[in-house]
Amino acid sequence: MSIVPKETIEVIAQSIGINNLSDDAALSLAPDVEYRMREIMQEAIKCMRHSRRTILTTDDVDGALNLRNVEPVYGFTSGGPLQFKRAIGHRDLFYIDDRDVDLKDVIEAPLPKAPLDTGVVCHWLAIEGVQPAIPENAPVGAIAAPSNGTTYEQKEELPVDIKLPVKHVLSRELQLYFDKITELTLRKSDSTLFKEALVSLATDSGLHPLVPYFTYFISDEVSRGLNDYSLLFALMRVVWSLLQNPHIHIEPYLHQLMPSVVTCLVSKKLGNRIADNHWELRDFTAKLVASICKRFGHVYNTLQTRLTKTLLNALLDPKRALTQHYGAVQGLAALGPNVVRLLILPNLEPYLRLLEPELLLEKQKNEMKRYEAWRIYGVLLRAAGQSIFERLKNFPPLPSTPAHALWKSKEKVVTEAPNKRKASTEPMEHEPALKKIVTDGPTTVSANSSPSPMQVETVTTLTSPGQYEAGQPSSSEKMANRVGKDGKILKKSAILNQIWKDDLNSGRTLVTLFELFGESILSFIPSPEMSLFI
Amino acid sequence: MENMQAVNSFVAAYLKKKGFKEAEQLLEDLQNKESAPIDFHNDPDLAKFIHHFSQSEDDVAQYQDGYSKLRSWTYSSLDLYKHELLRVLYPVFIHSFMDLVAKGHLQEARTFFNAFHEDHELMHSRDLQKLEGVLSQSHLEEMEFARSLRQNKVNIKICQYSYDLLLQYLHKTQSTAMLGVINEHINFQVTSVEPGSISDDTEVVTLIGSCQDAASLINQKEIHWGLLEDSLEERLEKEGGLLSDSEKTEAENKEGDVDDSKKRSVEGGKQGASTKKLKKDKAVNATAKSARPEAKPTPAAPRVKPELTLPVMSTEVEQSILEDLRNRVQLSSVALPSVSFYTFLNTHNGLNCSSISQDGSLVAGGFSDSSLKVWDMAKLGQQAGSSTLQGENDSTSSEHVAGPNGVKRSYTLFQGHSGPVYSATFSPLGDFILSSSADTTIRLWSTKLNANLVCYKGHNYPVWDVQFSPVGHYFASSSHDRTARIWSMDRIQPLRIMAGHLSDVDCVQWHANCNYIATGSSDRTVRLWDVQSGECVRIFIGHRSMILSLAMSPDGRYMASGDEDGTIMMWDLSSGRCVTPLMGHTSCVWSLAFSCEGTLLASGSADCTVKLWDVTTSTKAPKNEDKSGNPNRLRSLKTLATKSSPVYSLRFSRRNLLFAAGVLSKNV
Repeated sequence: MSIVPKETIEVIAQSIGINNLSDDAALSLAPDVEYRMREIMQEAIKCMRHSRRTILTTDDVDGALNLRNVEPVYGFTSGGPLQFKRAIGHRDLFYIDDRDVDLKDVIEAPLPKAPLDTGVVCHWLAIEGVQPAIPENAPVGAIAAPSNGTTYEQKEELPVDIKLPVKHVLSRELQLYFDKITELTLRKSDSTLFKEALVSLATDSGLHPLVPYFTYFISDEVSRGLNDYSLLFALMRVVWSLLQNPHIHIEPYLHQLMPSVVTCLVSKKLGNRIADNHWELRDFTAKLVASICKRFGHVYNTLQTRLTKTLLNALLDPKRALTQHYGAVQGLAALGPNVVRLLILPNLEPYLRLLEPELLLEKQKNEMKRYEAWRIYGVLLRAAGQSIFERLKNFPPLPSTPAHALWKSKEKVVTEAPNKRKASTEPMEHEPALKKIVTDGPTTVSANSSPSPMQVETVTTLTSPGQYEAGQPSSSEKMANRVGKDGKILKKSAILNQIWKDDLNSGRTLVTLFELFGESILSFIPSPEMSLFI
Repeated sequence: MENMQAVNSFVAAYLKKKGFKEAEQLLEDLQNKESAPIDFHNDPDLAKFIHHFSQSEDDVAQYQDGYSKLRSWTYSSLDLYKHELLRVLYPVFIHSFMDLVAKGHLQEARTFFNAFHEDHELMHSRDLQKLEGVLSQSHLEEMEFARSLRQNKVNIKICQYSYDLLLQYLHKTQSTAMLGVINEHINFQVTSVEPGSISDDTEVVTLIGSCQDAASLINQKEIHWGLLEDSLEERLEKEGGLLSDSEKTEAENKEGDVDDSKKRSVEGGKQGASTKKLKKDKAVNATAKSARPEAKPTPAAPRVKPELTLPVMSTEVEQSILEDLRNRVQLSSVALPSVSFYTFLNTHNGLNCSSISQDGSLVAGGFSDSSLKVWDMAKLGQQAGSSTLQGENDSTSSEHVAGPNGVKRSYTLFQGHSGPVYSATFSPLGDFILSSSADTTIRLWSTKLNANLVCYKGHNYPVWDVQFSPVGHYFASSSHDRTARIWSMDRIQPLRIMAGHLSDVDCVQWHANCNYIATGSSDRTVRLWDVQSGECVRIFIGHRSMILSLAMSPDGRYMASGDEDGTIMMWDLSSGRCVTPLMGHTSCVWSLAFSCEGTLLASGSADCTVKLWDVTTSTKAPKNEDKSGNPNRLRSLKTLATKSSPVYSLRFSRRNLLFAAGVLSKNV
């Protein structure tokens, strides 16, 4: 009739040594045992509730026994939930699986790790009633938010507005476009269609929703396709086009793009065939990096410092492959002559010493390696030369000397004093180098790495590119006027001092460069200066 | 005649089957007229005879038989009257069972119970669980619940027609056992209203042990739920918030202080001086009872004098409180609060309670290993480098208490109890903590000195809950010994002992004006006690399981109570009636809190959610509720799910930021 049958009572009686328990006694004890058990459980549940739990533990039962002034049952408090096992051969007889433990084992066992101490952390469960989607809060999916919001509202009458994960809806057309572009990039990157696609990427206005997808696509493919030269080049072209597009707001995705781009610049190996002209890829990527720095350097002020640090590390690590060095130099050079002056030139001497054995036929037998070394030598030379060239041409003309007069009596001015060297007198002998300078011009501004003397330079740097682009000496008059105007504002004496100092510096660097590179550097020196130098 | 009846019943069954309700009723009416019912209540001789007959008969089988017949008759009765008749079944069932037990037919009682208990499982599962264990006469005597059931009659409201039907049936079937049970234990209140209009009354739903009449008598007593006079809020209202410069406020505060102390000194001796005020309150109460006070705007809550001598606040404290009040965010159903959640990690199932100080800067946890740990959130914020605390700008250097083994701890450890700590509460200023434990003591700790100051001994059993009064100094405790006690910090003996609950007093809460405390108990009632006289002034009946949490609205009119099943009930203190039940939680409601202006109620539960309820809609439209009969539910505004952390405690800061604390648990 009750949960506790009289047989149980008999068994318990036997186990405590009462063998002759009468049937009647067992019968009347059974219901009382059950009642007491229920009473204990009722108290145990109270203890559980006051311990703010919903699962009854042995501690609660002990607490309840305490309340009733009964000695607690020992031996069950430690460990997890008790495992009941069914006795073999009996349908509803269970026992607790209580294994014998050797005391020696227990003593010898290493001490268990101390449990972590209790701590409290704090977070926002809701801000003005809206739950922020932070990891500390329950995942939104767990609150059973079905995929489309409409059914959710219908079934739930309570106004529960959870911030659902932002769903990005792409139109069918955009999806097709994206598929097409990726397809072209991956397969037919040398077709004319791809060129068309690049133009489209650079100009179309409605592409912004695709930017995250492109970013992901590029970083994904670069990491996967390091052996595929043409793919990498195509990808870099896509980046270039995306950067060109005036309708795309690419800033938020730069941090995802930059690693891929830098990889294409300084990776040890780009493409797996010798025929792959990875130099060209590196040059292109260097240009890309420079343009990114130019455009976003002012927004992310850490962008350029981080980039230069990466590149410089790559350059100064002798263990890196020569190709990596090449990429690093090219990247730094693309960032402008100031970067070169500040970062490469001081390291030039030790580096060239390192490079020298690679250059010589007798020391380096490997044709390929030697070629690579010469390549670096060339690019170093160019970088240094451009830097020094920029330096020399940037000295502002003295306001006292009228530009046209100066132009006519070139020799005279030059011989007169070293401080009369002027950018305006520069003959147009280095067409490619000049183009470089044009792109570099603003970079030097953003680089901002040089102290106050730079201010003086900047004035001319900003104005000069236009002049050179025009490429006509006649326009120099205009420029001179302008510079003259600027110059009037400045104190003459200050300028003179400045130029003297600069001249001394640049003269010294020029000497060192000459020592390092020999005659080849001279091609970068504007002729009037050269004459002076020689 | 019998033939006739058979035909009649056949016709009735046919009509019912076909859905001809009107015809069916007509037929039944006709039948009723024919067989004039014998009202045995009005005929004592007959009743006595029948009663005697049933007693002498002593046929055990009659109970089983009679009950099953009554049951099947009830289930096949007309839909319109069915639910009224069904309510009769439950008391008949439990009393039949207890009769059987009392007469010593244990075997039969058990089979009877097993046969029919499922019918009532839905409504009365907890009662049944208790009764199931009753297996002998002595148990009936011993068990509080059973004894009170036996001693008191159950009131059942029933309409005239259902009553007639029932009588007719009992008369016809001659089931004396059932008749005896009904006669002995059920008190019918026959009303002549439309059937179906009688809703599930709270009295019917919970068969409470104590006498209904006594409870309703108690609930007649008048209470003054108004707020304290001259509270800071009031002062702020007077100022109108126009004074932006603090100098002026200070001046006025000083004035106020002088006034205050004067008043107190005057008022100290004579309580009777405030009779005028009482009368005024009486009038207010009267209106509250007769016509629902929808015209009365909420802010104009009546003011009452404090019955206790209140501690004097320092000016600086008042300043800071006034500052907080001025900066308070106004919350409503459209402006929900921000919730800052404190999660306890690595508690190893040992955390029993948690408490948050008024400004949220301190969090205390009571553990089952007898320890009390207090975290200073300001230091925690510095450590983590992110401070989310409100108005916490002081940059005191964070110094961590080094444990005995040199390990840095992020908390202050208070050791002294010798049993699980079941409750902790901060004083309003946060400089003291009280903790109550299974070792039957309450201890007072200082957060400034990090030391135990006083140990209060008085309870004889574990102290489940302890709460500081809103003004500090006084505190109330509740215990397994079925009493609640009022203490003051400077005495080691309790000032008042509130006895009356039939089971453990599980939780306690102060009224906003400090003149009353509310206690929730395992006997499923909430009681309101007058602190001065120690009398019980209200009994709130309606919960179906143990009460776990209580909260008082800041305007003093309403009280919310949460129980083990997840039900929250809003009570009107003046009428003693349930305004509306709040359904939504699926597990124990551990904590409740009203927002500072009383517009929102927050509830924290073991189902890992914090729910926000709109309180204004329900209290502003009590008229609807009266008309329709079924109470319009309070709107649940928002459910905030935590990451598998049952919510242990909640608190609104003075600026209406909601703090919640819970423990991250894996097995939920």
